[in-house]
Amino acid sequence: MKVIAFLNNKGGVGKTTCSRLMAEYLSKVKRIPTLGIDFDPQCNFSHQYLSMEIDPAAPEGLMPPLHPDYNPHDPDDADWDGRSSIAEIFYGQGVIPYPTYVENLDFAPGHAERLLAAEAVRKSEVVDKVHRQLTGFLSSPDVCEAYQAVVIDTAPSKGPLTVSVMKAATHIVIPSVMEEQPVQGIYGMLQLWMQESLTREKSNPLTLIGILPNMFKQTRLHKDILKSLQDNAAIGKYILPIKLCQRIVFAEIDAEEATPRSIFDFPDHHVARCEALEVCEHLAERILNHG
Amino acid sequence: MAKKKRFGVSQALTRGLTETINVVENNAGIFRNTVLPLSRIELDPENPRKLAIDLLDIRQGIQATDPWVSQKQEELERLKELAATIASTGVINPIVVYKRGDIYRVVAGERRCLASVLAGKQEIDARVFNEKPKGFDLKLVQWVENTARDDLSLDERLDNIRDLIKEYCVQYGDVPITATLLKDITSLSLPQATYYLTVLNAPDDVKTLIKDGTLRSLDKAALIASITAPAVRQEAITACIEGYSLKQLRSIVTKNKILTTKKVIVPNVKRRGRTSTRVNMGYTANPKVVKQLIDAVLLQERYKKYVATFNSVNWDYLDQATKAFRQLIDILELEQVG
Repeated sequence: MKVIAFLNNKGGVGKTTCSRLMAEYLSKVKRIPTLGIDFDPQCNFSHQYLSMEIDPAAPEGLMPPLHPDYNPHDPDDADWDGRSSIAEIFYGQGVIPYPTYVENLDFAPGHAERLLAAEAVRKSEVVDKVHRQLTGFLSSPDVCEAYQAVVIDTAPSKGPLTVSVMKAATHIVIPSVMEEQPVQGIYGMLQLWMQESLTREKSNPLTLIGILPNMFKQTRLHKDILKSLQDNAAIGKYILPIKLCQRIVFAEIDAEEATPRSIFDFPDHHVARCEALEVCEHLAERILNHG
Repeated sequence: MAKKKRFGVSQALTRGLTETINVVENNAGIFRNTVLPLSRIELDPENPRKLAIDLLDIRQGIQATDPWVSQKQEELERLKELAATIASTGVINPIVVYKRGDIYRVVAGERRCLASVLAGKQEIDARVFNEKPKGFDLKLVQWVENTARDDLSLDERLDNIRDLIKEYCVQYGDVPITATLLKDITSLSLPQATYYLTVLNAPDDVKTLIKDGTLRSLDKAALIASITAPAVRQEAITACIEGYSLKQLRSIVTKNKILTTKKVIVPNVKRRGRTSTRVNMGYTANPKVVKQLIDAVLLQERYKKYVATFNSVNWDYLDQATKAFRQLIDILELEQVG
């Protein structure tokens, strides 16, 4: 099972958009049973596929809707409140992924309050309580049997949640806008990649697929920064040869009423679809065919 | 027209990105840092440190019938200090191990392991090599770890260097070990590397004194080992045992050199100015000239025994060539040329 995570501790660089494109490409285009996971307390990735609800206990946060399989009259569900988020892994409870409108794509949504609680775990307990939990969940026989790919969207942080994702991932992609601050975010992620890589066995590497230039604009700033990264001998080989440009359509399809809802349902010649296809094909080729 | 503004990633950030990538590319998959249960760790019996105490003694107590009981008791007392700091703050540097079946063998960090068990710890931070390090690399790690320690005897340090050289030759072929090569592989200073090589090639009497702990200082041992005349060497050894300083030992060597040097009477041609009392041997900017001279002398049967004295000289260095030339003169004077 391939576990692909999109990470950058700078917010607003397009992690959620990239996660969404990749999850839909693998499930819809490649027809691979895929699980999407939202590890960001902001729950934007979850909102794409589920009607997230305001949590009455924490008004600023979102929580998953009632699960379609939940039956309050079923004695089996007596101990369940009918909602399931990926944050259950931190509370020793099972996660029940939700089906989505995208074929072959199931989803384990976020839960703002519970994810934030995991992020705030005390340092002395963080390894057992947070860092190891996602790996444990993804290596369970049920998950391995049900899915061939997992796509994880992460919080813009370097905290326990992101470390947990690093530990569970087989492949990581760092999307970044070609500007100074997001590039600083790349550095933060490379540091975590380094720490994690040095704890892994040779047979189980954490592969950095690369840095994906995202929301690219044909401006001197973006072009110059991209070039300076490409020209560096060490960094250059990790700058992916594909990029996603700044396009309003990527934001438009986020709306619940948008039609079509997936970029891959756009006409074949649509420029955004072509671009998304090219990026996802490249990433999938690297992930599926080269370890 | 104004110049177009150019943008780029800051130098500091570029450097940080480059360094991080290099660390991963150079190290990932070679070793990993982790936490290991102490119950799965064994000490390396081939590590040149000569601690008598082992894990069993810590876990079950030292047996009264043990022939090493007093040495082990002493070592245990010294370990207690380290154990106290480990109990409060853990080990600062991870130990280095490699996997050997279902257990891990210690490459470096014996005392930390023993003290951790003594402190009642169950686990220890470790750097695990995925494969058994090759002979030379293994000895190098042990050497690097051991040089950081101050309770190692000269004999133990020499054993370390001897093993290191042996493994280096196994891995890289039987190359002559010069002081410069030793300096490069151990990061010792050149003088220190030279001292070690001299002491490794020391006469047997010096070696015995190092082994039994009478000679403990590297520079004194090197000075004594370099004395070719047995009588002078014996005098220096006696002085050293009596606690003479390095400077005092040097003066013994110099004094004897003057005494043992036979004055050769050369007809003195009357000339103006101060009377000449010695021959000026001239100078050269090419150290290879000195090598040629020394090689020519060493070819003679009576000087062949001195070949080892010049083995460690690096002929690319002027100061080493100068020193070698002085040694040659000493030898020639000692052997009474003419």
